[in-house]
This record gives sequence, C-alpha cells and structure tokens, in this order.
Amino acid sequence: MNKKMLAILFASGNESKLNELTLHRTTASLPFAGRYRLIDFALSSLVNSGITRIGIITRNNYSSLMDHIRMGRDWDLNRKNSGIAVFPPFGLNTSRDVYKGKIEALYTVLDFLEKAPEDYVCVSNCNIASNIDLESILDEHIARGADVTMLCHKANVTSSKRVIITKNDNDCVTDLCQVEIPSTEEKLVSLNIYIIRKSLLTSWIEQAYARGYVDFEKDILFREVENGKIYAKEIMSYAAIVDDVKTYFNESMKVLKEDVRNELFETGRKVYTKVKDSVPTIYGENANVSGSLIADGCVINGTVENSILFRDVRIEEGAVVKNSIIMEHGVVMKNGQISYTITDKSVVIGAGRQISGSEDYPIVIVKNKKV
Amino acid sequence: MQVKKECVAMLLAGGQGTRLGALTRKVAKPAVPFGGKYRIIDFTLSNTINSDIDTIGVLTQYQPFDLNQYIGNGQPWDLDRLEGGAFVLPPYQKAKSGEWYKGTANAIYQNIDFVDRYSADYVLILSGDHIYKMDYNKMLQYHIAKGADCTIAVQNVPIEEASRFGIMNTDSDDKIFEFEEKPKQPKSTKASMGIYIFTWAKLKKYLIEDEANKDSHNDFGKNIIPNMLNAGEKMYTYDFKGYWKDVGTISSLWEANMDILDASSGINLSDADWKIYARNTAEPPHFVGAGARISNSVVSEGCVINGAVINSIISRGATVKKGAVIKDSIIMPNAIVGENATINHSIVGWNANIESGAQVGEYQEKAIAGEWQIAVVGPNVTVKSGETVKAGAMLEEEN
Repeated sequence: MNKKMLAILFASGNESKLNELTLHRTTASLPFAGRYRLIDFALSSLVNSGITRIGIITRNNYSSLMDHIRMGRDWDLNRKNSGIAVFPPFGLNTSRDVYKGKIEALYTVLDFLEKAPEDYVCVSNCNIASNIDLESILDEHIARGADVTMLCHKANVTSSKRVIITKNDNDCVTDLCQVEIPSTEEKLVSLNIYIIRKSLLTSWIEQAYARGYVDFEKDILFREVENGKIYAKEIMSYAAIVDDVKTYFNESMKVLKEDVRNELFETGRKVYTKVKDSVPTIYGENANVSGSLIADGCVINGTVENSILFRDVRIEEGAVVKNSIIMEHGVVMKNGQISYTITDKSVVIGAGRQISGSEDYPIVIVKNKKV
Repeated sequence: MQVKKECVAMLLAGGQGTRLGALTRKVAKPAVPFGGKYRIIDFTLSNTINSDIDTIGVLTQYQPFDLNQYIGNGQPWDLDRLEGGAFVLPPYQKAKSGEWYKGTANAIYQNIDFVDRYSADYVLILSGDHIYKMDYNKMLQYHIAKGADCTIAVQNVPIEEASRFGIMNTDSDDKIFEFEEKPKQPKSTKASMGIYIFTWAKLKKYLIEDEANKDSHNDFGKNIIPNMLNAGEKMYTYDFKGYWKDVGTISSLWEANMDILDASSGINLSDADWKIYARNTAEPPHFVGAGARISNSVVSEGCVINGAVINSIISRGATVKKGAVIKDSIIMPNAIVGENATINHSIVGWNANIESGAQVGEYQEKAIAGEWQIAVVGPNVTVKSGETVKAGAMLEEEN
C-alpha cells in the first residue's frame, strides 16, 4: 500500500464562468458523463493510486458536494485511518471572509497537512475529468528529486487563465505563463494537478501567506521556475478541463467517442460514484437511440441521437433529443424537441416544445425549470 | 448480551437449484443474475430491509463463495449494522457433531443459537429463489394479531394449476386445517409461497423434536408444518396479492425476466418506495452506437450496444457488436455477442462469448409459456464463430 502521498482538492474553481450550471453546486459536483460528478474522476484516480487521505477544501454551495460524498464509502474512503476530510470555508478564527485564493485556502489546512504521516501532497482542482495513474507519477517525481511535478496535456487554449508550460527535453519547466487571449494553437496546458513534497509546500505556504500573496500559481510556482526543480508530466490519455459552459458541452460530447470512453473507463482503474440503486434503463417499442451514452433508470420511448442521458431521465413518445445533455430526472414530454441544449437536474420540457441552441452556444436550462 | 430483535429473518440459500442446469453449476441459485443488474437474492434481501427487519441469517451450503462474496458485510442493502445485519451462516463443526444441512428444518435447527442470540420472539423463514416485493412487517403484524404459532404466506393460483403447489386448506378465518403437497384433487387455491413466520419458542420446540426423529426428512413442508398441524397449533394463511414468481426453472427464470418488459405484469422495479438494492460494480453508463436498434428491452450499465436488441434483457457489462440481432433473450453480465451473431429465445450466461456469425436458439413464432424451447449458453462458454446452438440445448463449461 502506498502511504507516501495525501491529496488536497479544491472543490470550487471557476464557477463564475459556468454560470447556471454552478448556481446550486460546486464545480466538483457538476454532473458529467451520464452518472458521475466531476470530483468522481479525481477521487477515483487518487484511490486507484493508493492515496486514501484526501482533504477537500470547499468555498460555497457545498451542500450538494457533502450529499454526494457522505462518508466516502462509495470510493472505499470510509477508513479508520485516513479517508476524506471536508474543510468548510472560514477555516481560520481570524478570517471574516471566505478565503481569497489557493494560498490562503492551503494555509487553513496546514495543520491537517502537518499531522498527516505522508511526505508528499497532490494538490488538485476538481474541474478535471481524467483517469490518471498517480502512483507512477509520484515514483518519477521522487526519482527526479523534483520540487514540483505539474501534470499537463496538449490542448487548444480555448479559455483564458490557463497556465501554459514551456519545458526542455528533460521535462524540466523553463517558463510558465498565463494566457489572457484564447487561441486555436495547441499548447502544453497545466491541468492544475501538482505533486509537491509536503515540507516544501508548507514552508512555501507559510511564507507566501505572511507576505499577503494570493495566487498559488503566479506568486509561488512562477517564481520557483528559475530554481529548475519544477517538472512537467504530460498526460497522454484523455483529460478534460471544464471551466465554462462551452468546454463543459464540448468535453461531454467527446465522451461519446469510443477512444475517449476507453481512456476514461477501460483502464482497469474503475471510476466510482455515489450508488443510487436505479433500475436498468427501459427502452419502449418506439425507442430510437443512436450514438448516445445512457445511464441507468431511464425510460425511453422517443428518439435520442448523439446525446447524454443521466440517471432516471424520461423521453416520451415522439420526443426528439439531439446533441443534448439531459441531467438526472429530466423529462422530455410527448413530441418535445431539443437540440444543443443542456438541461440541469429535474428539468421538464413540455409536450410539443422546441428548444434549440447551436454547437457554439448550447442553451442551458436551469435546475427544476418547467418549459 | 445482544440487543433484542423482535423478528429475525432466516434465508434458505443452500439449495443447488439443479433445474437451472448450467447456470447453477458453480454458483448457488440465489446468486444467479436477474433483470440486468440484480441477482435473485437481491429481492429477498431488499424486502427484508424495506420491511424494517435488520437481522438476517443467510444459510448457505452449495457453492457458497460467489454468494458469500456478493453479500459481504451487507452494505449494499443497508445491512451493515452495529447490532444485527446480514450474516452468512454455513454449516459448522460443533463440539459433539458437525454435519451438512440435512434439510430446510435442520438448517434452522443447526442455527438455533444464532436466533437465540437476539432473543427473537419471531422468526421469518425465507427462500432465496423467488422474485417478488413483499412487506414482511405487515405479515408479522398479522401473525401477532392472530396470536398465531405459524403464519404461511399464500397466493391464490388458478385451480387448474393448484396441483403444482403446496396447497393450504383453511376455514373462513384463514385458519389452516389441512396441508396438501401437490394434491391431485386440490380443494383450495391457496398456494404456499414458502414464506413462514413462526413464534420462535414454538418452532424451536418442534425443531428439537424433529431432529430427534431419525426418520424425518428435516423439512418444513414435509415434517415441521404437518407435525404442527397434527398437534393442533394455531396456523394461519396470510394472503399476498402482487407479483410473485418462483424462478427455479429455466423457463420460469426466462419468464420472470421478460415480465420486466411487460408493464402489466406487476413486477415494477422502479418503485421509489420499495427499491431493490444490488451490489454495485462501478460501471459507466451504457453506450448505444450509431447503428444500434433497441426496442422493448432493458439495458444496464457498462453495456456497449452496436447491434439490434428486441424484447430482451441486456445485463451490465455486456457487449453487442455490429450486425448482431438479439430477440426474446436474456444476456447475462459481461457476455459478448459478436458481429452478425443471432440470438433467439435464449439465455446467454455471464462471461459467455458468442463469436461472430454464431446462431443461438431459434426463432419461435408463438409465445406459449412453458412450451418454448429456450437455448442456454452456460457461463464462461464460448460458442465458436459460425456454430449453431439449437433451441432447447444447454451448453456447459467444460470440467
């Protein structure tokens, strides 16, 4: 058993840009790929890599997350030793406000870090869908004597604020920068998953906090590049960063591709989620489904093409769902038609209604709305 | 001292289920997959917890490993409790003797200490091979209200079928005066469902007496119940209306699966107030490919469907490749149906591999229950490319 690393996850990220989708939840609890929430991918990668001490730092709207994780049993994290610790905001006695950035957030959990027996820390955001073997990456990190290993992947920089990595042939990071202008050029983009020696992290955080720094990337990592001990580890398999509605839609649709599904689900490292005991999906006489990912508990009597149906969705007769994402308990009533639409949980599309967005601007219908 | 439990359930899961042939060669009948993501025992376990009975002994004997592993600590059914919960009870060596369970009554006899441990007033006897949803607590309240020594759940069956069952003849107050096993001339239509509630002190007395009788079969139906009747104990029937099916044969197992597709059958698995729980295997949602066609079917998690599926049950993790056509069949977990294979009116066991172009079963025009010939491909069996499995055939794994 690998007891060398613990993990700190940030449940909140770029809510502002996910708009309606994170009105009632953290980014971590954003539903993804039919039956998961984004944090399932991080938690499963960690558990499958033998990492069982996991602290989750929350900021706002975290009740959906607490409800999802409970005691962590569904990820085999209800342990006597280690397991999940959820840190609510306002962790410090002196703080009147929710933490401003990662540095302050990490400062509130210094105690947790110091008490833990592990020597290394994996610090990660929760807006990433990927199935990563962190065990081998940690081995590499130790062998190299690295200060930090930054996980990254090749991607188009579709949204701003992503960190672009420049590295030499030895994978040593030579430059980090944050692009403000999206471009279509493929670059090495940070996944915001870091492996750091614990003693180093705690001393960095203590110093940075004392100086009033806020931004973990800019105020710490960018400055440390010159010491030449930050390494980049490129993830070759599928990895999605979800930070706005458009990337949410695009990355969701990628899961309809076989190779992406294989890289997420057929790795021998399972992706776990909260068990809900839904019945298997029932297809009626008039069901016509193709190119779609369908979770359990659905009842389908209409047409579904290139879409993702979460658990317990009902598609009535004559309804047509194309290029859309329907979250849990959604209903498309008789002859309703939707395309390029994301319906949040428990949305009802009335009989005969038509809703269509476009590939670039998918329409989002908020939770519990009846159209 | 253990916490007292008013009622303890004892689930008889030791039978081989020989009539299921290849399906129960290596697992006990209650562990056979059902309905896409369940196993047969899930229904009894879920009924138990949904009836607020939280202590259940599962008596295993035949091929217990799969079942033991499946039940584990009972967590999927919320049966991992500080006091009580689910216990797997295999036969064990005692100070003076040690033997297999000789019969259903003997199995309970050998576990008298288990029931006593909870100071139970009542014992609910269940079998793990029926598909139904039943509130045992209502039956228990009935048993208590009647002041009964034994209450037997019964279903009204058509009189022409009554000779296939154990029939209870009762007076107008539902008090049993006669029990007939598979009578040629049935006098009543009240068929025993194999679900009993006993007042524990009474049952214990009869179990001990029965054990002393060397000629006894140590069986509830053959010995305990007739003995209690003869002695004039207060025995009542409890009418159960609702879906109930014994899935002890290939055709009844097939029919019960198909009942899920028929909204009028009454099986309704999606009742939020009476969930059927199962151990979860953490599989992704199922994927339906561009060329797939699925109608009037059930598809579970982890499947990848690229062929045609009609009137069928596709269990978790199964793969249906391009051009394959599956009709009126049950595909069990993780089975693979290759390209252009055809499957008609069959049961394909778990992990079976139907290679491309193979034909399993035959299309049969008229759906007459019991007369259809169901082809069975046993678990882990490979049907080679181009091979044909005839209607009614049963292929078994070698050794």
